[in-house]
Amino acid sequence: MIRIRDVTFAFPQRPVLDGLSLDIEESVTTVVIGRSGIGKSVLLKCITGLLRPQQGSITIDGAEVVGAERKDLLAIRRMTGMLFQEGALFDSMSVHENVAFPLAYHKTFSPAEIARKVDSLLDLVGMREYAHAMPRELSGGMKRKVAVARAMILEPRYLLYDEPTAGLDPSSAAVVEAMIMRLQSTRSITSLVVTHDIDLTRYVANRIALLEDGRIVSLMERAEAFDEGSPVYDHFIENREKIRQENVSEG
Amino acid sequence: MARVRNEAAGEWRHAGRSALGMYGNFFYWLFREPFPVRQLGEQIVRVMLDAFSVNIVTSVVIGFILAWTAGWNGLKFSVVNWSGAATVYLLLSEATTMFGGLIFAAKIGTAFTVEIGSMQMSGQLDALRLMAVEPSQHIVIPRVLASVICLVFLNMLSQGVAIVSAMVAVRWWFDVSFTIFLQHVFEILRHPILTTSYIRSALMAFFISVNACGLGFYFNGGAVELGRTTTKSIVLNFIFVISIDCLYGVADQLTGWSAV
Repeated sequence: MIRIRDVTFAFPQRPVLDGLSLDIEESVTTVVIGRSGIGKSVLLKCITGLLRPQQGSITIDGAEVVGAERKDLLAIRRMTGMLFQEGALFDSMSVHENVAFPLAYHKTFSPAEIARKVDSLLDLVGMREYAHAMPRELSGGMKRKVAVARAMILEPRYLLYDEPTAGLDPSSAAVVEAMIMRLQSTRSITSLVVTHDIDLTRYVANRIALLEDGRIVSLMERAEAFDEGSPVYDHFIENREKIRQENVSEG
Repeated sequence: MARVRNEAAGEWRHAGRSALGMYGNFFYWLFREPFPVRQLGEQIVRVMLDAFSVNIVTSVVIGFILAWTAGWNGLKFSVVNWSGAATVYLLLSEATTMFGGLIFAAKIGTAFTVEIGSMQMSGQLDALRLMAVEPSQHIVIPRVLASVICLVFLNMLSQGVAIVSAMVAVRWWFDVSFTIFLQHVFEILRHPILTTSYIRSALMAFFISVNACGLGFYFNGGAVELGRTTTKSIVLNFIFVISIDCLYGVADQLTGWSAV
């Protein structure tokens, strides 16, 4: 379980998280939804120890992330995989090399075993036939699928997704959504998705947390989140409709 | 106006801190396991391929120009037979090292800054950290060591090419025979000239690559900022190359170590 308590983080001239608390429960998909630039990616970086909050506590399976020594942080990071916004694939490596990289670097397995694991993960995300392609030859959706395979190669207990559908066309976004669902159902990984995409949220979330003003202002099950009058409905559906109607009436 | 000046000063402060931070980072990670042997090999091949052609072309041009200048002045003072020796002395003691450093800063230094800066921008460095791979160790150390090895080797190559180029030039324009040229070359070709030249090259490569990697590594911003950072990388490295050359030259003169 990931437990976040009273986390405060600020850049030199901009406060971002202000006493944020949230529990990420096991084997479910929690979606943190919020407007662009509100600190969703910062939250993920704090969880993985890439950024250090000024205050608060984050524990992953009981291990404290905030202020952890480098050695402990490495152990904690092995429990988590993360999908970055653009995939963050290594440009100079093929798809196969990208996915194999963490195992090859740490020399944890023999080359034959690594190849077998990579093939199985590429099968899972539907990218086996592109194993020898370079990242520049892939579409945005394909890159993210490869990035998920790479994040999974160390068999993490937690998978963190940073805006997995941002910048994708609707059909590519649907493919990524389906992949998140498939991973959830076949591997029962605990997933934390941060996004502003309401369609993605509706599709993959078990629990939905609404991030506003640096803290979680509402946490609910998917079923109740989309009821009229719920904070998520108000912020992301009604508000959108209102703006659209205003634009239409202004001609 | 004052705001623009403050912003520029702030950016330069950040650049200075980035470069300084990278020196500490480099030495901290240099002696830690695992040593990136494969990456070092890859970077040596890459740096050699990237810098080889431009270094060779520059050496040919420098050899020709210096030989031509020395030859004309040699004619004026009726010592044209010595123009080859003068050219070679300038080439070995100064020109190939200095121009090699400047070209290396422009070609390889900027490549490092842009490459690592865009890795930072696209989250690749963070992705490495999450895989329990330290980017300084995996990305920076191989580039710095490869630069030191390659620039020294490129300098040797440049010196050879520039000498041949000068030899052809003085033979062609001033009718100085290859035999006379080579006799004078061997008279002045003493061991310390070459050694000091290679030490300077190694120092230049080290500072160029650490500065360039540091600016990319601690880069923060978008495409416009990356462009500005790359310009800073070139300017900073040119200042370093010229300063190293001057300081080393002064020290050399004071000690008389490589004096002919």
